[in-house]
Amino acid sequence: MNGPADTPGPGETESPHPATGLDDMVHQRVRLGILTIAHEARRVEFGYLRNQLELTAGNLSQHLAVLETAGLVAVEKGYAGRRGRTWITLTAAGNTALAEEIGRLKQLIARVDTTEAGPSGGDPQR
Amino acid sequence: MTADSVPAGGDPRRLLADARDLARRVRLAQQVTWLPLLVLALVTFGAIPVYRFSQPVLSDCQAMADGQVCKAWYQAAQFYWWTALVLAYVVIAGGYLRVARARGLGTRVLPYVLTGVALVVLSAAVSAMWSILDHPYYPDPPPSSVQLLFRLLDPTGAIGLALLVLAWLERRVELLLFALGYLAVVLVPIDLGWGTGWGPNWAFAPQLTINGGLLLLGGIGFALAQRLRRPQ
Repeated sequence: MNGPADTPGPGETESPHPATGLDDMVHQRVRLGILTIAHEARRVEFGYLRNQLELTAGNLSQHLAVLETAGLVAVEKGYAGRRGRTWITLTAAGNTALAEEIGRLKQLIARVDTTEAGPSGGDPQR
Repeated sequence: MTADSVPAGGDPRRLLADARDLARRVRLAQQVTWLPLLVLALVTFGAIPVYRFSQPVLSDCQAMADGQVCKAWYQAAQFYWWTALVLAYVVIAGGYLRVARARGLGTRVLPYVLTGVALVVLSAAVSAMWSILDHPYYPDPPPSSVQLLFRLLDPTGAIGLALLVLAWLERRVELLLFALGYLAVVLVPIDLGWGTGWGPNWAFAPQLTINGGLLLLGGIGFALAQRLRRPQ
């Protein structure tokens, strides 16, 4: 990561590394998955999340509680007939957090690609 | 922070790929593309008997070299299209909601339904405006550019325009290509010589059969594709 491509030239100011802006709340496989699904689906039921993310109910509940406390998702409990159903929707803050995370991941990948393509990057055996 | 959060499960490439895959699976589970195509095919086929068994309001008839030409208002057919299309969009919205809810998801069909209804209103407004302007160009036919615009804002054209919105909402290239193909058929009518000897009020039947048939075939095709693609 610290190859020549990352070193600023004279008079240049170094832009912060994309990884420094990553939010630990969102930068986690399961929580990023929950936010992605909720964003795409508009609203999503607990069971769908559990199946798609291959989690136990308890594990998923913990992640949802973290996201709900952070104000990134809203959890709404209701009934379909006699069956209880829990629906999750993305809040405006969750939408922003997801967009920022995806943007930073793309920046990070682009940065890694640039570094690997640089003169001292790539395979050290060559 | 970077060292703790990026490696292993947090590899940015893998995270992004996982997120894209999850989004793709949601979109796949939300798709009920066959439903609007089937419903709109039925609405299109339903227009055929309405044209056949209703009488247009004729006015200002003028003798021409090869007969006579009149201003014609297909009152019953127009009311049929407006009502049937609005009802169709309500049925489509209900169907999408029902399917999505059963799969544990929300739906993104609302912009499509609103566009569809807005285009019905626009189509009615253009029709009313044409009457208010007292059929400009009459007794000559309007220029081809005006005819093309009319076909686009005609109920059959409006169906195709709204399908473009659905293709965008579902991020579905196949539906985009289908909608463009459908619009091409609507804008450049196919004349196979049918209907000439079928008697009065059959003039619209061939084109409606082609439009409805295309929607029906599309609906069947998308239904089959959906069965094959849906993850078990």
